[in-house]
Amino acid sequence: MPIVFAPLNIDLRIVRVLADDKTKKHLESLGITVNGNVTVLSSSGGSVVCRIKDGKVALDSNLSTKIFVA
Amino acid sequence: MKRFALAGNPNCGKTTLFNSLTGSTAHVGNWPGVTVDKRDGVYKKCAEPVAIIDLPGIYSLSPYTPEEVIARNYILDEKPDCVINIVDATNLERNLYLSTQILEMDVPVVIALNMMDAVEKAGDKIDAKELEKRLGVPVVKISALKEQGLHDLMERAFAESQKERKGTTVLQDTPLAHLIGDVKIALAGQKVANPLFHAIKLVEGDEIEVDMHKETLEMVSEFKETFSDEIFGNDFEALVADGRYKYISKHFAPVLERRSKEKFQMSRSDKADRVLTNRWAGIPIFLVILFAIFHLTFSEDFLYLGAIFGLPDLETLGLLTAEGAPLNYGVRWLACIYDGALFSPGVIINNIWNDMLVGELFGWIQGLVESSGMAGWAVGLINNGIIEGLAAVLSFLPPILVLFLFFSILEDSGYMARIAFILDRMFRRFGLSGRAFMPMIMGFGCSVPAMINTRTLADEKERTATVRVIPFFSCGAKLPILTAVAGAILMAFNSGNGSADLITYAMYILGIVVAILSVLLMRGTTLKGETPPFIMELPAYHAPQFKNLMLHLWDKTKHFVKKAFTIILASTIVIWFLTHFSFAWKFLEDEQINESILAGLAQLLQPLFTPVGFGSQLGEYGWVFVVAVVAGLIAKENVIATFATLGACLMAFGGLDFSSIGGLDAIMGDDTGITAVWAMIMATNITIPGLISFIAFNMLTIPCFAAVGTAKSELGDKKRFNFTLLFWVAASYITACAVYTIGSWWWTLFIWLAVVAAVVTVIVFYNKGKIKLNLRNKGAK
Repeated sequence: MPIVFAPLNIDLRIVRVLADDKTKKHLESLGITVNGNVTVLSSSGGSVVCRIKDGKVALDSNLSTKIFVA
Repeated sequence: MKRFALAGNPNCGKTTLFNSLTGSTAHVGNWPGVTVDKRDGVYKKCAEPVAIIDLPGIYSLSPYTPEEVIARNYILDEKPDCVINIVDATNLERNLYLSTQILEMDVPVVIALNMMDAVEKAGDKIDAKELEKRLGVPVVKISALKEQGLHDLMERAFAESQKERKGTTVLQDTPLAHLIGDVKIALAGQKVANPLFHAIKLVEGDEIEVDMHKETLEMVSEFKETFSDEIFGNDFEALVADGRYKYISKHFAPVLERRSKEKFQMSRSDKADRVLTNRWAGIPIFLVILFAIFHLTFSEDFLYLGAIFGLPDLETLGLLTAEGAPLNYGVRWLACIYDGALFSPGVIINNIWNDMLVGELFGWIQGLVESSGMAGWAVGLINNGIIEGLAAVLSFLPPILVLFLFFSILEDSGYMARIAFILDRMFRRFGLSGRAFMPMIMGFGCSVPAMINTRTLADEKERTATVRVIPFFSCGAKLPILTAVAGAILMAFNSGNGSADLITYAMYILGIVVAILSVLLMRGTTLKGETPPFIMELPAYHAPQFKNLMLHLWDKTKHFVKKAFTIILASTIVIWFLTHFSFAWKFLEDEQINESILAGLAQLLQPLFTPVGFGSQLGEYGWVFVVAVVAGLIAKENVIATFATLGACLMAFGGLDFSSIGGLDAIMGDDTGITAVWAMIMATNITIPGLISFIAFNMLTIPCFAAVGTAKSELGDKKRFNFTLLFWVAASYITACAVYTIGSWWWTLFIWLAVVAAVVTVIVFYNKGKIKLNLRNKGAK
C-alpha cells in the first residue's frame, strides 16, 4: 500500500518506489530504499512524517503516494 | 600546507566543528559558479598548520545537487591530504551511508564520531575501537559542541595524511561484486585515478560517470542485459543502495549498544513535533512566533506597555527643549530606549547605532569638512553625497542583523525545517515549495537578507522566481513613502477619516497579490518546471549555539559592509552628482534641484509616465514625481528626503503660496514628508488614482541599490539578472498603469480583465501544445 495509508508506529518494509531517478537517488541517500525499513510517525492531509534509521524525514503528499510499503 | 576536507551530512555538526577548529582564521567565499558558501580556515595546533576546507553538507556523492557535485569533485580533483568524515552518532546508519562512498576513494579518511555526548546522555554506548576495526580507518569520538576530542581527531588525521590509502568497498557480498571488480580493472588499465569509486558509480549508472567513460560502459550494459534480481530487477542503482545499507546494518550498526530495547519510544523532539507540526495548531503557532520576531525587531511599543499603561512621552516629562530636541546627552541616550513607550530591542539597537554611533561619527566628520574651507561643491560631495549615502546604507545594518539573528535561531534550533513542512501544501499551489516562505516573509523586513536566504532553495528556477518577487513584499523602508503619500491624500482631498491606514494596508495586499500572480506567470512561462518534491529531514530540536550564531552574523556583516563601500557608495555618488549639477556643470544648492541634470532627464522621461498617471498630464512641475522615483532607486528612505527638497524647490520657484500651511519651515520640518507631498500635489494637480499609482510603482519597481546588488550576486547569471531588472520595471509599470486607469475610469476594469483572460488563455493553450507561437520571430520584432 502507499505509505500515505500505512498505519502509524509500526515497522514497515518498503517494497517499491515509483519516483524519477533524481528523486529516487535522494530518497536512497536518506535511507528510503527498496527493502529498507520505515515507520510512519504522523500523517496529515497526505503529507507524511516517517522515521528512517534514526532520522526523521518529511514527505509531501505527491511522494507519499509513490512509496509502497508492506 | 596540508589540506584536510570536512565532509558529512547536513545537520551533523560539521559547521560547529569547523568553527571550533579554525576560530578566527575562517574565511567565507563562494564555490566557483554556484552560490554555495565555501568556508576555509587554518588549524594551528598540529605539528604544522593545516588548511581546513568545509565541504557542503551532503547525504551522498551522487551528482544530483550542486552540493554533492562540489564535494565529490573537490575530493577527486583537488585531492585533499585527508578527509575528515563527520558522522552523527545519534543517526549512525544513515550517516555511514555517505562514509561507505567516501571510503571507495583513494584518499586517507578519518571518521569523527560527533554528538557522542547526546548518545551517552541517552544511555547508549558506541564501541569506537570495534567500529575502527570494521571500517579499516581511524574512528575518533568527539563532541564539536563541547570541543571534546578535537585535538585527538586532528592528530589522528595528521598521522593518516602521511600514509597512502586505497579505496575499499562494502559491496563485496552483493551480486554486483564481480562486475565492479572487472570495471575497476578496466578503468585502472586506462590509468583512471580512484578506479574503485568510478567503477561503482559507473555500475550505478551515474550521469557524470556515464559521460566520462563511454567505452567501459558497455561492460556494464552487457552484464545488465543478462542480469535479473527478484526484488530489484536490473535496477543497479537501487541494488547498490540496498547493498550499502545491508552491510551497514549487519556489520557497523551492532557497535551501537542501546540501553532500551523498546523500539518506539518518543523522544523529546517527537513530543514537540506532535504540537508544532500538528495539522491544526502548527500554522497558528508559527504565526505567533513570526509576529513575535517582527515585534521584537520593529515595534516602537515593546509588549504594548506604553499603550496599556499610558506611559508619558519625553515631552510630557519635560526632558525636551522647546524645539523638541533632547535636553542633554543623557536624555539623548534615553530617547534611544524610551519615548512614551519602551522600544523593542531591535529598535533600541537601531537607534543607538544610527543616532549615537554612526550619526555622531559622521556628524563630526561633516563638521570637520565644513570648517576645512573646501570649495562648496567639494563639501557638498563629501557631506551630502558620500557621507549621507554611507549613512543611509549603514542605517540598514541593525534591522538586517537583528532579523538575521532571529531567523538563524529558528534555523539552528531545527524549527525552520518544520515551518517549511507545514507551509508546503499551501505553497505547492503557486508552484513553489514550503521553503520559499521564509525568504518571502523576511522581505517585509528587508529584501537584502531575504534574497540571501533563498540559498536554502534547492531548485534554481524556484530560487530565481523567489528572488524576483521578494521586493514585492513591501520592506520597512517603503512604509514611510506609503504613509507620506497616504497622509497627503487625506490633507489635500479631505477624504474620509482613517483611510490613510486603509491605503497603506491595501498597498501591502497589492504587493502580495502581484507577487503571487508573477510567480504563477513565471512558473507557467519562462521558469517552467516541476515543483521539486518536498523531502526534508527534520533534525532533532536543540538549543542554538551562541558562538555559531555570532560567527554567522559576523559573516553577514562583512558581506554587507563590503557591498556598502563599493557598488552602493558608487551609485550614491552618481545620484548626488545628477541632483547637484546642471547641464552647464554648475554646482547647485539643494533647493535648485529643478535645474539639475536629473530634473532635466526627468522632464525628458516624463511622457513615459503618462500612462501610469504622473507624466505629461501633470504639466510644468510633473517631473518632481519622476525625480522621486529615481531617488528611490538608491534607497527608499531617500524618497522622503527628496520630497522635502522638491517641496522646498517648488516653494522657491513654483510661485505657489504655501503660507496657509506655514511655508518653507513646515515643509522642511515635517519628518513624515506629508506636507512636502501636499505641496507637490498642489503644484501638479495630480489625481488620487495618479498618487496611488505612484506609490504602487515605487513599491514594485526596481528596489534599492542594496537589494539590486544582492540580487545580482545571488542570481549569478548575468542574463538572468538583466531579465530580473526588466521584470521589475514591467511589473511595476503594468500594475501602476492598471491602478491608474481603473481608478480614473472604472470601466477600463473590463478591458484589463479581458487582457488578463486572453494572456492566461494563450499561456494555458501554449503549454498544452494546442497553439504554436513562433517565439524567435516575436523576439526579433
